[in-house]
Amino acid sequence: MSSHTASNVARAKRLSLQSGIILALAGFCFATLVFAATPSSSTLNPVNGSSATWAGSGIAGATTDETTCVDGTDCDVYTITLTRSPANYKGLVLAISISHQVSLNDYDLYVHKGGLTGPVIASSTNGIPETSEAVVIDPTVSGTGLYTVHVVDSNVAPGDPYSGVAAITTPPADSPAHGTAPTYANYQSPPGLGDSSGEPSIGANFNSGRIMTQAVFDTLQITFNTNTSPATATWLLKDGPNTSITTLDPILFTDSHTGRTIVSQLFGTTSLSAFTDNDGETYTVSQGGGIASGVDHETVGGGPFRLCTADQLLVTPVPCAQSAVRGPLTQYPHAVYYASQDIGDAEMALSQDGGLTYEEAHPMYTLVDCGGLHGHIKVSSSGIVYVPNKSCGSTQGLIVSMDNGLTFAVQPVTGSTPNSSDPSVGIGSKGRVYFGYVAGDGHPHITVSDDQGRSWHNDLDVGVPFSIRNTVFPEVVAGDNDRASFFFLGTSSAGAGTGADTGPAPFDGVWHGYIATTYNGGRTWFTVDATPSDPVQLGVICTQGTTCPNGTRNLLDFNDITVDKVGRVFTAYTDGCITAACIAKGNNPTASHTRLDNDQATKATITRQSTGLGLFKTQDGTRLQP
Amino acid sequence: MQRTVIPALLLLGVAPLAAGRQPAPRILGLRLGMSYVQARSRLSEIGQFKSEDEGQQVWILSHDQRYQYAIVGFDHGRRVRYITVLARPDGKQVSYSDVGDLANATRSGGPGNLRYTWKAHDEIGGFEYLVIAKGKNHRYLDRYAVKRLGVENEREDRD
Repeated sequence: MSSHTASNVARAKRLSLQSGIILALAGFCFATLVFAATPSSSTLNPVNGSSATWAGSGIAGATTDETTCVDGTDCDVYTITLTRSPANYKGLVLAISISHQVSLNDYDLYVHKGGLTGPVIASSTNGIPETSEAVVIDPTVSGTGLYTVHVVDSNVAPGDPYSGVAAITTPPADSPAHGTAPTYANYQSPPGLGDSSGEPSIGANFNSGRIMTQAVFDTLQITFNTNTSPATATWLLKDGPNTSITTLDPILFTDSHTGRTIVSQLFGTTSLSAFTDNDGETYTVSQGGGIASGVDHETVGGGPFRLCTADQLLVTPVPCAQSAVRGPLTQYPHAVYYASQDIGDAEMALSQDGGLTYEEAHPMYTLVDCGGLHGHIKVSSSGIVYVPNKSCGSTQGLIVSMDNGLTFAVQPVTGSTPNSSDPSVGIGSKGRVYFGYVAGDGHPHITVSDDQGRSWHNDLDVGVPFSIRNTVFPEVVAGDNDRASFFFLGTSSAGAGTGADTGPAPFDGVWHGYIATTYNGGRTWFTVDATPSDPVQLGVICTQGTTCPNGTRNLLDFNDITVDKVGRVFTAYTDGCITAACIAKGNNPTASHTRLDNDQATKATITRQSTGLGLFKTQDGTRLQP
Repeated sequence: MQRTVIPALLLLGVAPLAAGRQPAPRILGLRLGMSYVQARSRLSEIGQFKSEDEGQQVWILSHDQRYQYAIVGFDHGRRVRYITVLARPDGKQVSYSDVGDLANATRSGGPGNLRYTWKAHDEIGGFEYLVIAKGKNHRYLDRYAVKRLGVENEREDRD
């Protein structure tokens, strides 16, 4: 799903009005004023207490993320030069902060190494209410020389200029994740529904409050009755007219903000597809996918088009006009993308009419760049399109389009190693990318980028609290820029847990569903066993495609995760161990836990967050109830 | 002398034999339906192995002036299912009409994203196949593929 928050929608609506006002002001002043921080630069030395201050330019405005700001109009720049060598900063850090007065104004702080085109090595992008942003940089890691501080008006009304401070100081104490970890409840589909349910997708309709999920041939609508606690779930079969027949590779995508759900099944060189705007009550059959798109591992995603803001239109009218050509052609406001792979390359096709028809697919990458199979499409609030890939040379990779699917760049996820599970990305409301993946050693990792995948930081093994040694199906969703959840299946058993199970003794392992959540931009994570008393699988989960022996690939290739309007996290997974006997073995540490003990079931199940903070800060005042 | 003439003759498979005829089910001496051993032998002559993914191999073409990479996919019987060649960015350009008679092709896409597709039947192998030439340029292709229809990838991810 697109990962922007409800507040972003409101902000986007305000953006055009505010931008219009700002445009008028800018038009009046543009020719005579130069907007910049004052002073515009400083030099700091490796001495505790070396510091500098500056005043922001006082420009108001609204942007969707750093990529849509216009310097001198709704963002400004301040540069810092650190003298001497990194070794001179041992035991010291560079602390940068900005502050302002009005808590309903929202400034964001980005720090690039080098100039503005250099990597973003630190950022602070809290949402309202807030009056400050701050980052801490270790020069022994990031180096000395030039740093560029980019202060962006996320949503700032006139009359509240910021002030900035940069100081060389001693490092703050490490701050482990604090607060309360979320809790979760599991809801299994009723008998007769979702019984053959490999590789599920899930979506949340913000308009209706319902959850939609699809796996193999069943499309299911789930409504929660929150008048009781714990809430009860009503599951209804809502198959599309052409997606419940025997085809291949099911996929469902819900654009949470528009409420449109697209269901798709692979069929030859394209897909059978339909969409619904009322959670499956009625469907419209669509073209299916991009003309002549590939035949394997299709994915559908969508979100806002990448279009110029009013400020950008003023400064760069020609490229803005070019991008507008790939904007909406109908009343449906968002882009829909279809991607697949075949004959050595992967392609993506844009739909400018809400998934009814698609353009000729454009090449994303070839097998020279990355492995053919890819993960699922995500679109940022500013319209940047992302497709993760588990193998791009010596690392995993992220395919990025900044022009509505016309051209693509392959960004290596530095620090990662290839694996057999497709990775997943979640996009924060202001563009932060969370890339969840299974490392080459089988451990669940997540890493963060604030510059569209050009650089990565905070790569962490979130399986450490449970000693996870084998992992499959990483799935990520983000809400606010600083909040994200990462769902995966894991086991603490070492060995070939994702292989074909051809060793002298079958793999012995108990798999559970885990959810790791961050509330501070990926610096720390709460990892929770979301299925503590009900294992998902015993024995191997083979991820080697159709070469897997019978009884090892019942879960197929992926799971999914989403977030609803209030920030509550939901996952969809296939449960392979559902009988009392299987569950009992899984809960008995001295019992056998091989594929021979597993049910090989494929039962549709979803996880619903019961308590704890959700992914939208604006909803924190209303505590989640089970 | 012989070392240059033979590859040149093999490369003739890239060009159409005559106007109006369908393009052949082969590229660079690699033929659809060819056995894995035969294909490896031919690929070793014209290039260097780079990587393999899901039963598909990428080869760097050492001496071809037009194509930089060949990607070859195999079916469950380990016979060639498809061949794709990628144009060398600074190499000798290949026009769409070099592949086949454009009058017999289906044209799709538009400026910046053009595609010609031929559908043909191989009398020798008794199978149908597609020939696809794609590119950003209106005249010269970026990539060119032949693909056998009705067979699955060696490791097709069928669910």
